[in-house]
Amino acid sequence: MKWTSLISSAAGLSVAAGLTLFTAPVAMAAYDGTHCKAPGNCWEPQPGYPEQGIGSKYDPHHDPKELAKQQEAEDQMDERNAKRVRYFKSWGQFIYDVNKIPSGPK
Amino acid sequence: MKKTPFRRRFLTSISVLATLAAAASVTPTAQANDRLIELSKSNENWVMPGRTYDADNYSPMAQINTENVKELRPAWSFSDGVLNGHEGAPLVVNGKMFINGPFPNRTYALELDNPGKIVWEHNPKQSASARAVACCDVVNRGLAYWPGDGKTPALIFKNQLDGHLVAMNAETGQTYWEIENADIKVGATETQAPYVVKDEVLTGTSGAELGVRGYVTAYDVRTGEKKWRAYATGSDKDLLLAKDFNIHNPQYGQANLGQTTWEGDEWKIGGGTNWGWYAFDPGTNLVYFGTGNPAPWNATMRPGDNKWTMTIFGRDVDTGEAKFGYQKTPHDEWDYAGVDVMMLSEQKDSTGKLRKLLTHPDRNGIIYTVDRENGDLVSAHKIDDTVNWVKHVDMKTGIPIRDPEYATYMDHKGRDICPAAMGYHNQGFDSYDPQKQIFLLGANHICMDWEPFMLPYRAGQFFVGATLSMYPGPKGNRQAAEGLGQIKAYNAITGEIKWDKMERFAVWGGTMSTAGNLVFYGTLDGFLKARDTRTGELLWKFKLPSGVVGYPITYEHKGVQYVAIYYGVGGWPGVGMVFDLEDPSAGLGAVGAFKNLQRYTKQGGGVFVFSLGGHGPYDDPKVGEYDVN
Repeated sequence: MKWTSLISSAAGLSVAAGLTLFTAPVAMAAYDGTHCKAPGNCWEPQPGYPEQGIGSKYDPHHDPKELAKQQEAEDQMDERNAKRVRYFKSWGQFIYDVNKIPSGPK
Repeated sequence: MKKTPFRRRFLTSISVLATLAAAASVTPTAQANDRLIELSKSNENWVMPGRTYDADNYSPMAQINTENVKELRPAWSFSDGVLNGHEGAPLVVNGKMFINGPFPNRTYALELDNPGKIVWEHNPKQSASARAVACCDVVNRGLAYWPGDGKTPALIFKNQLDGHLVAMNAETGQTYWEIENADIKVGATETQAPYVVKDEVLTGTSGAELGVRGYVTAYDVRTGEKKWRAYATGSDKDLLLAKDFNIHNPQYGQANLGQTTWEGDEWKIGGGTNWGWYAFDPGTNLVYFGTGNPAPWNATMRPGDNKWTMTIFGRDVDTGEAKFGYQKTPHDEWDYAGVDVMMLSEQKDSTGKLRKLLTHPDRNGIIYTVDRENGDLVSAHKIDDTVNWVKHVDMKTGIPIRDPEYATYMDHKGRDICPAAMGYHNQGFDSYDPQKQIFLLGANHICMDWEPFMLPYRAGQFFVGATLSMYPGPKGNRQAAEGLGQIKAYNAITGEIKWDKMERFAVWGGTMSTAGNLVFYGTLDGFLKARDTRTGELLWKFKLPSGVVGYPITYEHKGVQYVAIYYGVGGWPGVGMVFDLEDPSAGLGAVGAFKNLQRYTKQGGGVFVFSLGGHGPYDDPKVGEYDVN
């Protein structure tokens, strides 16, 4: 296991007439998990593949609005659940439909 | 029968006694948890997946043993009327059996004295759209039980495919509370068995095949109030990493990796859902579970190690804080979702030191054993010598040394990768015999070809990005599409496979072992089998109405030992049969692998119960008869 710097881990290797050259950012060896930037951070691209997907031919072109939808859904569920639990703890009656939970000082 | 249908549109409130208001605010104590521990130790109960918090599916009962197992006969059975895959197992508590099926997740309570009469039924009405976002059949892996405290009644908990966690009165089946834990509109479902520790009920989510970001949540059993939530990806705060996270193993990684090992905001759709099993150690106060695969399956689309998917976590059950996390498959390229069973044992390691261990047969084909007090890696052996994506695990760093020949990436078709995406082990709940110190493993033997493709993320839509072809591993018969499974006896300290046997199909559901020197398991082609734990010799089998994807349990009632198991083929391996699919790459590649399953079994659903000689509640034929008076 070798802990290598970001630069050296990203460095590529070209072999021509017996000469070895560093030609970042192409990886020099197939990804086997052993060239780590830091503990727990050991990924490297396959030879000839980009370090970053964004801006490359493998850019997934994520839509930020789509990426935000899960957290929005969780926040909304949490809000509804909180209303149900609050009323249940206060009145001892569980009401699932938040639109039918009586509003009041509690 | 007290039938308690839940029609959300029409029946929106459940009345309970007003006095519950006071009960709802009772300060949690460990009292109920202590009772659950006591209940779990009784041979008359099976109160949680795994039987006890050790999650070892082992019973000290020996009434049924190697000498007399051939006399096992059916005592009674029950059809639950649902035909999809029946994963998991029933619970048995205080003379009742609690049965829960796949979508629409009906729950039944039966009296063991007269199981011919249904005590209560809970029949939720869910949106059919939940089915459309279930990855691999509409399975459910079981129930959880909390014994009550004198003010709040004993409760049964279940997850519904539509993302709801429901608490039911164990005596009446009435809904006690019901909250939303996952939103099917963004592709999140619930297939897991909830898990009760102290006065909390824990549950994860499913849906990494739709880009769902995983989380585990603890709710107050009495009220449904959220206590904590820990995500699989994102900031250290979202992950609930303790300040001393991985202090014993800094080489695993520590702070700030849940976002920096992803590109941009991809961690928001990065998967890591936990839909598998839990274990708990009251001594460490840690609950143990695994996070699943990163999303999408196409690894080129998510550069980085993708922390903390594929991770064995040990979390303080009171706060949710992670004390340790070990990522088994960084930057997963094969869908080796890391949610499989965690079995707890105390054994001497190779130096003779007695240690508290956690053993986890992972989908990636490695069986990991860690010290559950601090996360130290104790052993990491291949479940089969045909595992090829990894050469070995570096025991100092914990890093798998990959064989680049079996990598997967864009514009490349990976071939003959072992295991396949289904893993050499999957959701089966296996067992550990503490007397013999061996693990009884139900295994898959499936390999694959894998070709990725690009696709956009749209919330609530499938987000996989790979086409798979799966087939038997090298020890199977690829011409006949058989030899897809194994049953194995494994020593986690020495790595020795004491014995192993090939099976026609995957041993998908798991194993249960007993002090009678027996290991029981079901097969996809519909047999319940018993083997000698010491030798692997097949001693008994029985053909069930349909294939098995769940695990057996055993319990004692009125002096008789019973063995019970769900039948009902389905789950990922049965998805072709369940949904009538023919394209070999359909069902995420399962249809081709299990194309011959239809020659051996058809759909069904229910529970079968066995005893020596078939003795049981109807030995007296008058039991359950119509009484004219």
